[in-house]
Amino acid sequence: MDYLFPLQLFPSFYNCGPPGGQKHPPCVGAWGCYEQVRPQFQVDSGSGSGSGSGSGSGCSFTPRRQVSGEAWHQKEPLPLPLLPPKPAFVLPLKPPDPMDFTKHMQNFYQDHYQDEFGVMGGLLGDSFYPQDASTQASSIPRWQLDKFLDLLPYQTCSRTYRTVPVDLLSPLLSDSLHSVPMDLLGSLLYDELSEQRDRRLFFDGATGGALDYVPVTEESGCLVYPGGPGLDRLNFQQVEMQPIREGGGASESITTRKPISFQLQGPVRQISSSSILDQICVVVRSQYLCGVWRFSQWEEPRLLQAVSCGQEATGVSVSPHVLGEVLVATESGSVDLWTVGRGMQKVRADDANLYFNAKSPWRWCEFSAHPRVMVYADRTGAELSDIRVQPTSCHTLFRISKASKCRSGERLVLSRYLRDVHPFHHLVTTQHSAYIMDERFPCVPMLKWDHMMQSPPIFCHILPGSAPSAPHTKVLLGSQSSQEVTLLQYSGGRSEACSSSGPPLVLLRPTDSLQQLPVQIPHRRDSASRRLATPAAGLTGIQRKGGGAQQHLCVLQLTEAGDIFYQILQNDAPSHVDETPRRTAEEEAELLASEPLAWDTVSDEDVIGPTQVFGFVPETPERRRPSRTTTDSEGSGPEGRGRGTKVQVVVNENPDPGHVTSAQADKGAGLASAATLSDGALLVWRRWLQKLFLLDHKKKKPRPQNLPHFTVCFNGILQLSVKQMEERAEQVQSLRQRLKAAMSERSMLDSAPQEAPVPLPDGVSGELWEDQLSRRLTAAWEGPEAWRSWWEESLGLNREEKVAALKRKRRREKEARRASGRRLQLSGSFTSSISYQSELSDFSDSAHWGSGRSQGVETDVEGADPDTEGADPDTEGAEPDSIPWAKSPSGIRADAPTPSTRGAAKGHMTPSRPRPPSLTPSLSNTPTNQKRPRPDDYLRSLTGEQELSTQVDSLFPEVLTPPLASLTPPMVSLSQPVRPTLRAGPSQDSAPWSQPQTHSALRRLALAIQPKKKKARMGF
Amino acid sequence: IVIGYYDNISYGSRFRHSTRICLERIREAMLHHRWQEAAEYMVFYPQKLEGSEIEYRQNRELIWRISIELLHHMPNSKLEDYNNIHERMKHLGVKIYLKVSLEQSFHLMLCGQIEEAKQLLAIGESWRYGKESASQHQTAKLIQAYRSLLDYVIWCDKKFTLDDTDDDSVTYQDMHSYFRQASVHLKEIFKNPGVWDPFIVSYVEMLEFYDDHEEALKILNDYAYDDTFPPNPNAHVFLYQYLKRRGASDKKLTKVLKVKQLNWKDILSETVEPRKDWWPALHFTSFHAAQDSKENPELMKLKAPVAKIFCPGK
Repeated sequence: MDYLFPLQLFPSFYNCGPPGGQKHPPCVGAWGCYEQVRPQFQVDSGSGSGSGSGSGSGCSFTPRRQVSGEAWHQKEPLPLPLLPPKPAFVLPLKPPDPMDFTKHMQNFYQDHYQDEFGVMGGLLGDSFYPQDASTQASSIPRWQLDKFLDLLPYQTCSRTYRTVPVDLLSPLLSDSLHSVPMDLLGSLLYDELSEQRDRRLFFDGATGGALDYVPVTEESGCLVYPGGPGLDRLNFQQVEMQPIREGGGASESITTRKPISFQLQGPVRQISSSSILDQICVVVRSQYLCGVWRFSQWEEPRLLQAVSCGQEATGVSVSPHVLGEVLVATESGSVDLWTVGRGMQKVRADDANLYFNAKSPWRWCEFSAHPRVMVYADRTGAELSDIRVQPTSCHTLFRISKASKCRSGERLVLSRYLRDVHPFHHLVTTQHSAYIMDERFPCVPMLKWDHMMQSPPIFCHILPGSAPSAPHTKVLLGSQSSQEVTLLQYSGGRSEACSSSGPPLVLLRPTDSLQQLPVQIPHRRDSASRRLATPAAGLTGIQRKGGGAQQHLCVLQLTEAGDIFYQILQNDAPSHVDETPRRTAEEEAELLASEPLAWDTVSDEDVIGPTQVFGFVPETPERRRPSRTTTDSEGSGPEGRGRGTKVQVVVNENPDPGHVTSAQADKGAGLASAATLSDGALLVWRRWLQKLFLLDHKKKKPRPQNLPHFTVCFNGILQLSVKQMEERAEQVQSLRQRLKAAMSERSMLDSAPQEAPVPLPDGVSGELWEDQLSRRLTAAWEGPEAWRSWWEESLGLNREEKVAALKRKRRREKEARRASGRRLQLSGSFTSSISYQSELSDFSDSAHWGSGRSQGVETDVEGADPDTEGADPDTEGAEPDSIPWAKSPSGIRADAPTPSTRGAAKGHMTPSRPRPPSLTPSLSNTPTNQKRPRPDDYLRSLTGEQELSTQVDSLFPEVLTPPLASLTPPMVSLSQPVRPTLRAGPSQDSAPWSQPQTHSALRRLALAIQPKKKKARMGF
Repeated sequence: IVIGYYDNISYGSRFRHSTRICLERIREAMLHHRWQEAAEYMVFYPQKLEGSEIEYRQNRELIWRISIELLHHMPNSKLEDYNNIHERMKHLGVKIYLKVSLEQSFHLMLCGQIEEAKQLLAIGESWRYGKESASQHQTAKLIQAYRSLLDYVIWCDKKFTLDDTDDDSVTYQDMHSYFRQASVHLKEIFKNPGVWDPFIVSYVEMLEFYDDHEEALKILNDYAYDDTFPPNPNAHVFLYQYLKRRGASDKKLTKVLKVKQLNWKDILSETVEPRKDWWPALHFTSFHAAQDSKENPELMKLKAPVAKIFCPGK
């Protein structure tokens, strides 16, 4: 009986107050939890059929969360498209960023320049006609205008490529040249983009869903859905679920007939239907319009009436009691009762939200058990309002509060009257939960699920249970942006209290389909994935109450691109268990043959042995995912059991594998057997994708959203000039001739007077720059420690320390000498003198404490070149009292290079060889060289590099440009007298790099190899 | 030291990353009811407990719940497996001790092991640790109430055997001690607003057995008319049934009934007018008429004059 109320409800606390508690509870929903239990006494009946019967009194307990419900599973591993793809607007996957409005403005100015500048352009045209600058003062020179216009289609650096006259004109004219003022356009675009973004994240206008199935006869029904590119065409299509036989097993498929269409004036957002007796009433909501259609088994659909609402309509509901009555809720907070043919009557108006200020204009209305009591809902809760009296008398049905165990921030997203299931029941969903509410016991949920969906469920479809094979009521919840569909089951509600059956089951999503299909080429895959990922727009389901034990359930999902996907679920009775897994396994084997890489069950088979049938099936829900099984059944945690139940039981405890198979099959039959893609389904998908690609092909390509970057052409910038090329050719020619001549004379080719084909520039060593600044910078290149020690030395901070160390060392050596025999004394004194020398050379830098004398002077003392001294007259003054034992680094390094390098380098050192002077910092003081770098130039170039020094050193090999790479041989042979090189005057200016850069690069190079030099020295 | 520090960080973040992926896989598999696959991943997930203290606290309930759910769907799970997990989880943290105890006792009750469940609840009852949070307090109350409910179940068993046995007095005394045990905590929980249908029914039955009608009536009246309680229709049903059993007068009975139903007769005449637009459409459709004429012509004859009264114009 429908009016029965449960004899006993599950016990629970009733907590008042605003929601609270854990903000981020563990994401486990109601898994592993009975929540509450309720005793049932079966003294009278005497049949202890309950889950656990106690003793004499026949008491058994029923949990609020039953462990399992009906075992539904998919027939195919992916949803199938119901209709061929139609042209649609497919939005990009990423929601737009409102801050991009300038880009959109730019696009608008370029694509619709006539609209924006046409009027003022025509008026000002004469004054701006590009003419000779002399005739009109305000005109822009033609070449500048051309240049400006040429650059327009590119993204350029606005500072580099600025056109001064245009820049000057734009502030003058910016407020008069545009037909739509820039500020207005910008703010409008910003608003539009933010709305689009919000809409992509969560669009409440789609609540309820624009897809409905109205059963007309036992087998067939009418599918009502929107079509067309803008979803503005209402289609009524007769569909039928038919059993077809394929491969020995009965299967269900959907057949469709030609639809009857109506063109509307706006996109369809919600379709609500109700069948009273034999008449079917369908109400359609678009943004501001609502329309009512009526049809029956014998009549075609016809529009009864359409009305326009002043405000945006947010929800409609068609009465299940009286034909032609519709409730319309609008954003203003009012609800109208629309009696078709008689007009609208305002039954409720509410400016504010019901229970607290949720700042949401969204309103919703539904009918209830009484024809004149409606459910009025907003984000904060739902009220039952009696509309017979004015003002309406209301009482709370549901509110966001502790009583319904809401979390803070939770909001109501959908309410639905479950007229087909129970006349007093309502479904209420929030982001986290779904509730079954009873009108007769408001405020306290009869049942609460954690639906575990990622985005809020705004679509739902209820399939009442059909006893006895499928007694559970099934609730399908669908979300919009993530396309999720979740199947929940529950039972009770009449004489028994409601209890949920099994954990939520997530159904397939169209967006995941491509992974299961054959691989597509990238641009097709992208377009297909974009199309498949469009947000969902509606959800419905068809239950086929066929004879026999096998039940079929078809879930249909509409996307915003106008595609409808369906998936068929089946609920196998135990008699089918033996047959189904085996068939699946065979198909799996076929798939294996075609795709050997996707599958690896070696370890699995090893473990399970003769039970392959079951080993196969549960492991392959997706064939792209290779299943892994390890034999490590001794789990360390408590979960070892969970894992171990399979492995341990099969291998250790139960010697009879056949028994295991049946035991597993009993429990896991419906759950575990994964569907495999049938050939028919594959064919449907192939066709669908082909049609989609054909559509894409036909579509004109839109202009790319972002301008291409303007790039400067670098072609030939590193090539030699024509003159150089000719010279080079001549050289090669002459060389060949001489080679030929030498070969014919059988003599050696005398290369002395000729130049090497590749000029090898000389290296520069940091040691050659011997002024204090350069030395400090050189030290700085070696890292902060070296730099600090340089400063300490130069300030004389560690003088005492050093002297003490020296003394200590000498003393130790003296003692050692004394300890050793007389015979060794001479050689000992020799070594000590050497060590003395090396010691001093170690501290050679310490010679400059405070004096600030230049290294250049020292080299001068050694007689290298007097020019150096002159090179840095303003950095260091020459100091005559140089310490004689302070060896110059170049002198020390004399032994470091290998003879081969030296020999190779010798050839390059010929004075006649012209070399690009810019490769080496010019130090010569010749009057012709006017480009002598000033010391502060060096400083600048060096200080700029100093911060990066440590990183650059390690990166250095990559930094080398090819011409610089050729520097390496002379760099190794640093011991060579390089002075002549430095003095070479500038003869060619073709070097493509600038001097300071070269200098710093060379310095880096020199420093990069410096540790090597040090090593050689220490070896000494 | 610095290198070691960075190593630790990267190890920690890598660990978090992989455990997060593992949890996602488990969740995905469980939502798609691929229990076997989820169980295989779950073997590795408890390593998460080896992470930081915060992770430990956040994850123990998660691990407990997921593993129990997996056990529900594993083909060969045994009661020992459940108890094993429950016992381990109980000792992983004090905060979930009561919750785990309650769920474990539920499982035992469902398995028909009333005595074991009662023992477990008794242990949970005596368990004390620090300051209780609000939800812990309620769980503790529920544990007491369920323990009393089990007392009642045993009481019922005794009552059932009372007729068969000869030695009535011993059984009777036994029963009375169970009644006393049960009544203490049941009375306690009725002070809290909530839905206590099973507890009320059992308590009233025991009170009726011992002829304590005053207490029973008081309990039922409080349950039905206390404003802090939710408007439970069953509260009125229980009161009505009790009064009927006690042979109360019709006046009293209708008083109770009035809460649920209104007398439509008096206001019918006043309210026919505003209902004109929808009542006839609801009750006197052409489809009904056609069906009635076929199935029940007498009803149609009866309906026709009524329809005339309601809508004289038509």
